[in-house]
Amino acid sequence: MSLSRLAPRRALQVYASATAQPHNARPLFHRKLHASPRLDVVRPFLLADIGEGITECQLIQWFVQPGARVEQFDKLCEVQSDKASVEITSPFDGVIKKLHYGPDDMAVTGKPLVDIDIQGEVGEEGGVEESVEDVVRAEGGGELDAAELDAAATTTQERGRQHGSRQSKEVMGSLATPAVRHLTKEMNVNISDVQGTGRDGRVLKEDVHRHVSQQTQQTVPQQQQRTGLPATREDKKAPLTPVQTQMFKAMTRSLSIPHFLYTCAADMGAITSLRKKLNVRAEPKLTHLPFIIKAVSLALRHHPLLNSSLDTKDPKKPELTYRGAHHFGVAMDTPSGLLVPVIHNVQDLSITEVAARLLQLSEKARNNKLAPSDFSSATFTISNIGSVGGGVVAPIITEPQVGILGIGRSRMVPAFDENGQLVKKEELVLSWSADHRVVDGAECARCAERVRGLLEEPGSMIMGMR
Amino acid sequence: MITWNRAYRGAHLSLSQRRWLSKLTLERLATRPVQSYISTSNNPYLNLSLEHYLLQKSSPESTILLLYVNRPSIIIGRNQNPWLEVNLSLLSPAPRAATNSEPELAGSFLGAVDLVRRRSGGGTVFHDEGNVNWTVICSSKTFTRDKHAEMVTRALRSLGVERARVNERHDIVLDQGERGGDVVDGADMHVTPFTRQNAASRPLKVSGSAYKLTRQRALHHGTCLLSSPNLNVIPHYLHSPSKPFMSARGVESVSSPVGNILLENEEFMGAVQKQFAVMYSESRATELQEVGLEWLENETVGKGYDELNSLDWTYLQTPQFNVSNAADALASTDVQFTVRNGTITAGVLRSRNNSAFSQLGEDSVGTRLHEIAAWSTALPRMFTGVDRAECDKLATWLESVLPPSHKTAGHS
Repeated sequence: MSLSRLAPRRALQVYASATAQPHNARPLFHRKLHASPRLDVVRPFLLADIGEGITECQLIQWFVQPGARVEQFDKLCEVQSDKASVEITSPFDGVIKKLHYGPDDMAVTGKPLVDIDIQGEVGEEGGVEESVEDVVRAEGGGELDAAELDAAATTTQERGRQHGSRQSKEVMGSLATPAVRHLTKEMNVNISDVQGTGRDGRVLKEDVHRHVSQQTQQTVPQQQQRTGLPATREDKKAPLTPVQTQMFKAMTRSLSIPHFLYTCAADMGAITSLRKKLNVRAEPKLTHLPFIIKAVSLALRHHPLLNSSLDTKDPKKPELTYRGAHHFGVAMDTPSGLLVPVIHNVQDLSITEVAARLLQLSEKARNNKLAPSDFSSATFTISNIGSVGGGVVAPIITEPQVGILGIGRSRMVPAFDENGQLVKKEELVLSWSADHRVVDGAECARCAERVRGLLEEPGSMIMGMR
Repeated sequence: MITWNRAYRGAHLSLSQRRWLSKLTLERLATRPVQSYISTSNNPYLNLSLEHYLLQKSSPESTILLLYVNRPSIIIGRNQNPWLEVNLSLLSPAPRAATNSEPELAGSFLGAVDLVRRRSGGGTVFHDEGNVNWTVICSSKTFTRDKHAEMVTRALRSLGVERARVNERHDIVLDQGERGGDVVDGADMHVTPFTRQNAASRPLKVSGSAYKLTRQRALHHGTCLLSSPNLNVIPHYLHSPSKPFMSARGVESVSSPVGNILLENEEFMGAVQKQFAVMYSESRATELQEVGLEWLENETVGKGYDELNSLDWTYLQTPQFNVSNAADALASTDVQFTVRNGTITAGVLRSRNNSAFSQLGEDSVGTRLHEIAAWSTALPRMFTGVDRAECDKLATWLESVLPPSHKTAGHS
C-alpha cells in the first residue's frame, strides 16, 4: 500500500468531515463577510492510516514547535512504524498550535497528531471558511461548476499556498489549482507555456497574468541581480521564503499608501554621554534605541494623529481611529529575514523596561520562538537599520498604520557650536514616513522636531515622564 | 564528539585517486529518469549518506538503484536502542568478554566493527563483504512494499535460486525441505515449489527490508546474504546481555534464522541491475554509474556523512528506556536508571537488605551514557554515601550490561 498516496487524501477527507460540510446538500456558494478581525481557525491534522494493519507508530522527532509558521508540504515530524520511517508533511499553510505527542510517544492512527491554525488574510479575502470549502471541493473530485469557479477565482487573491489536485486532468500534468486552470482558459493561454513560480513549479495566478502581459508588451530583459554575468551562469528559480511571502503580501498592500519623507538630524551627544554613565553599572548595556522609542512615545502624546489607524476597506468612507495605546513594532533583521515584533504599551514602560523587552524579543526572534501574539496590534513602527548602516532612509508604512520612523547610523560630523567654533558632533538621521492621505507635512515635522528636542535634551524627557 | 572536517576526509587519497566531481555532474545525474549506481567504497557511513543524498536530491519522478557492500558493521534502525540490540562490548578492537565466556569463538571474532544508525526504520542487521545491499528509490505514488523485493527475487531466480520467495513481512526467504508435488506459477514471487504450510523447518531469511518514506519519494533498501563468512559469529554481536534488564520504547528487532545463498557478489549485482533495467528503462539496459569517496566533496553528502558518523546521532537518538537490575537475583543493591535521548535523566540506588537509598546527584543528570569511560569511577561520582564494596559490585554488573564504548568517531 502506498503511504504517501493515501496520506494527504485521507487526511483531508477526514478533516473535511470534521468541518461538517454535508456533501449531499451542497450550499450555494456565498461570500462570508467578516467585520470582526481575524478568525483563528484551528484544524486538527490526523495521523493517516499507514496500511499494513498498523494502528500506532512511534514519534521520532518534531521538525516544528507550537507557534512556528508552516507552509503546505513543510516537514512536520518523522514517525516510525515497524520497518518504515515516514516523514509527515503539513497539509496546509498555517501556524502550529499544538503538538499532541512528544518524542518517543506512540501516536495512534486516525487520531489528531498536531493542531494547525489556518490564519488566512481573513479580513481582506472575505473569510477563511470559503477557502476551506475550496480545499474540500478541490480534493473532493475536482469538479467545480463555472459559477463556483468564478467566485473562487475572484475571492482567492494572490496567495502563497496552492491546493494542488493530485489527479491532474490536463494531459500535460502541469501543477495548478482548478482556479488557475480556469483563468488560463479565460485568458486563452496554454498552461504548459506558463512558467510556474509556486512550490514545485506550480503555476500561480500571478504567473498567468505575467505571461499574458509579456505576450502583449515588448519582452523586458530579465533583471539580473548582478550585472556583467557571463552567459553560461545559470539562473536559479527559488520560491519565496515564508518571511518573504509575508513581506510580499504586506508591502503590496502598502503600495496604495502615498508616502512622504521627512528627515531630520538629531545631536545624540547628550544621550551618548548619559548612556556611558549608566552602562557602567547597567546590565545589559543600553543602546540608543530604547531612548528613541520612549521619546517617540512621549511625542506621540502630543501628536496622536501619527499613532492612528486608517481603515480603507471602503474607499469611499475611510475611517480614522486614534489608538489609545502605543504599540510599537520594532523591525529586526533575523536569520529568517525581516521580522517586526511588537512592544506593547510603550506609554506605560520605563526606558529600562523598553530595553529589556527589546532584548527579550530579539532573543526570541533569533531562536525562532516568536508567537503570533508578538506580532499583533502595532500602531507605529520603528525601523533601526542603523545597526547595519545608513543615513537617510525611506521606510515603508505597514497598513493600517499611518507613520513609520527609520533610524540610520549615528556618525561623527563637524559642526559649529554656539561660539562659532568647529566641534565634533554625533549626528543621527531620523527619517519619518507618513501617510499623506491623513497626515500633512507640518504635523509630521512638528512631531519629528519634538522627538529631536527630547533626544538632544534628555532632561526634557524626564519632565514629560509619568 | 569528534567531527571530521571535509578537508580531512579524503586527505589520505592521492590527487590522482580523488576523482573530482563537478557540481553540474551531480545535478545532471540526479535528473535522469532512470539511474543505476554502484558504490566503490565499503564505508558504511559513506554508502548510507549517498543513499540519503539520492533520496533527497533526485528528481521526484526518477527511479534509482544503488548497490553497495559494506565492511563489517552493525546497522541499527532509525529508532532503535544500541545497548539493547547490540553486544557493544564486542565492538571495541580488543574484545574482552569473548575470551572468557566463549573460548572457542575467541579467534573468530572480528576486529573493529562499525556501529551505524541508519535513517530508515526496521531492525538491526550485520553487514560484511559477503552481503550485498540494494536500494531502490522511486516516486511515492508508485511505491509498494513488495515491488522491489519481488524484483530482487526475480533476479535470484534468474540465477537458479529457485527456493527464493517474498514472505508476508516483505523479506526474502529460502524455503527449506523437499520439493512439493503441486505445480506452481513461475511468475509468482510469493511461492516456490518448496513452499508448504507446515514445513518441517522454517525458511531461512536471506534479505531484510527497511523503508523511508517522504512526501514524494520512497526509499526501499534491503540486504542480501550471499556468502558471509561470519554467520556463526553474528548472533553473538546481535545478542545483547542487557536484554533482560531493559525496558524500552522503540522498534525491537525480530530475529530469524539466516542462511547464505552462496552466489558471488558480482553475479548477484549484475542480475539485480538487469531486472531493474527491464522494469524501468525503455532500452532495457542502464548505464551503471560508479560512486565513491569523491562524492564527499558534495556539501549535502558531506553533511549527511558527518551526521551519521557522529556519536550524538548514533547514541542520542535512542528513545527513552529504563535499566534496572531487578531481574538479577544475586544483587544486594537495586540500581535503576532512566535514560532519555541517550543521557541519564534519573537514577536511584536502593539496598535490598536495609532502607539505604541514594538518588542520582544533580551534577550527573544529563550524563551521556556513551561517554562513560568506566563505571568503577563514574558510579561513585553519581551517587553519594554508598558503600564502596556495593558500588564496585554494581559497577561490575553495569560494565557488562552497559559496556563503556571505546570507540571514537568512525574512520574514513
